[in-house]
Amino acid sequence: MSIEIDGITKRFGNFLALDDVSLKIPTGELVALLGPSGSGKTSLLRIIAGLELPDHGSILFHGEDATARTARDRQVGFVFQHYALFRHLTVFENIAFGLRVRPRHLRLSRAEIDEKVHALLQLVQLDWLARHYPSQLSGGQRQRVALARALAVEPKVLLLDEPFGALDAKVRLELRRWLRRLHDDLHVTSVFVTHDQEEALEVADRVVVMNAGRIEQVGTAEEVYEQPVNPFVYHFLGSVNLFHGRVHGGRARIGAVELDAPEHAEVTDAPAVGYVRPHDIEVDRTARDPAAIAATVENIRSVGPVVRLELLRQDGGGRIEAELSRERYRELIFQKGERVFIKFRNLRVFLKDMKP
Amino acid sequence: MADRVHNEPAAVRWALIATALLFVGLLLFVPLAAVFTEALSKGLSAYVSALTEPDALSAIRLTLLTAGIAVPLNLLFGLAAAWAIAKFEFTGKQILITLIDLPFAVSPVISGLIYVLLFGLQGWLGPWLAAHDIKLLFAVPGLVLATIFVTVPFVARELIPLMQEQGTEEEEAAMVLGASGFQTFRRVTLPNIKWGLLYGVILCNARAMGEFGAVSVVSGHIRGLTNTLPLHVEILYNEYDFAAAFAVASLLALLALLTLVLKSVVEWKALQQRESATRTAGEGPLP
Repeated sequence: MSIEIDGITKRFGNFLALDDVSLKIPTGELVALLGPSGSGKTSLLRIIAGLELPDHGSILFHGEDATARTARDRQVGFVFQHYALFRHLTVFENIAFGLRVRPRHLRLSRAEIDEKVHALLQLVQLDWLARHYPSQLSGGQRQRVALARALAVEPKVLLLDEPFGALDAKVRLELRRWLRRLHDDLHVTSVFVTHDQEEALEVADRVVVMNAGRIEQVGTAEEVYEQPVNPFVYHFLGSVNLFHGRVHGGRARIGAVELDAPEHAEVTDAPAVGYVRPHDIEVDRTARDPAAIAATVENIRSVGPVVRLELLRQDGGGRIEAELSRERYRELIFQKGERVFIKFRNLRVFLKDMKP
Repeated sequence: MADRVHNEPAAVRWALIATALLFVGLLLFVPLAAVFTEALSKGLSAYVSALTEPDALSAIRLTLLTAGIAVPLNLLFGLAAAWAIAKFEFTGKQILITLIDLPFAVSPVISGLIYVLLFGLQGWLGPWLAAHDIKLLFAVPGLVLATIFVTVPFVARELIPLMQEQGTEEEEAAMVLGASGFQTFRRVTLPNIKWGLLYGVILCNARAMGEFGAVSVVSGHIRGLTNTLPLHVEILYNEYDFAAAFAVASLLALLALLTLVLKSVVEWKALQQRESATRTAGEGPLP
């Protein structure tokens, strides 16, 4: 089932949580709402679920207006951040809950419920825990029970609020791959909220970057990472180096160096900021290009497959972080205090009034 | 205590313990023993007859009736108020919480007096009630009203922190899964608060049966008609019928002991429930 979010505005007292947000999610897609805390992503998820009412705007499921429907009638599956398992019920009864509370004429027989719950327990690989209580489970197990419980009512839409937020790093990694595979099997339209960019980029078909109650950018993981539309998205998705300068007629001037900035061809002499990811910086001993910037090596840190260099610009423009692959670093082997030249492989220039 | 932090000499420790025991003994055990000794001072048959004479029986009946009406009503009110306060945001929430505490803040005698001022012949509603031949004061309805007022806070006070701590996520989960409001309450909310609720009811009942001040003002002390157990004790005592007074008092003392036992059991159960709910994830079997 497709979801259409149309002009949703929501206030909590004086706080504007969502500011005229619109978004279309096609059937079967797995979408991540990504943003810092307070960006409105959880509010949007709760409004889709019917747990919160919007002040303006509407929610359409499969083209039908569902704004007035209660959470009970929306047929969505919701996985809460802290799982919200029923603490007085066993794992089995937690999963069976949605089936047992159906009106009598829609309710499955006892045997059918048994069968269905066991099938779901197998799906989440927890059939051996059926008689346990939530307090006896680990975080990852609780998360999977919560997911099975949400899937039991055969929702048309699956909504997950920070599904891996409360888990430790390793379990998190396993579970998100498992969730991706599960989605590929079930193909239920899914929306999940996260503040972890890596999680969003790895799991989702499309990423919706949110900030201060607005959607900043919608796109595939590659699009939002490679072509951020504004400084906020650039900052939020990974680390970045800033270079202050000016643009004039399609050329950007940073320190003593001039570069092409064709997207600002119409701009005449305005302050601007260049954004470069650390891995888009080339470091070399000799200046092979007149556009290279001179810097000294301040610090060298080796982090797994990459080596991070902290560089200090010699023109007084501040610090730069560069990331080299281990192989490339082995060819060069810098010393602390050494003079090097840097070049940008991919620089994006935004005018200064576009604050992150 | 596994690791002892304090290193006072044994004499100091024993002196402190002895002082504590002395106070507890003087203030709690001696009076309790006195009640039963006095009650049985004229023999068992006098004890039994003091409890079975018509006025005493009627006082017992009236006490049971008053508590029987006041406790269920306050159970409902306490549940509704705690539900509203813990699970919803609305303007005037603080005022409602303060109002619930009001009976604790006001002297019971004043509570009773308010009803006299409202419903008495010289009161605001008195003439209207008299004109319609409705008797509230110096009759059973007045006793019930006063008892309800005094015992309002017990259930609500017990439930509000418990329900606030539990939050609303489980209820939201139930709703999204298709449960109706009543199903959510019966299948999710109630099981989570049952021990706290029972605890509140036990305290509420003890107070309802033992209430003296407010009831005394609105009762009119009509023997066999508007005398509850505590009032009956007072009347007997004032008539120098000490053995009978203590015999009836021993009933209330037994009620108190029973309440303490039930309270401890429920407290223990509630603690168990809370512990099992907050046990950390690490203790469970790993995948």
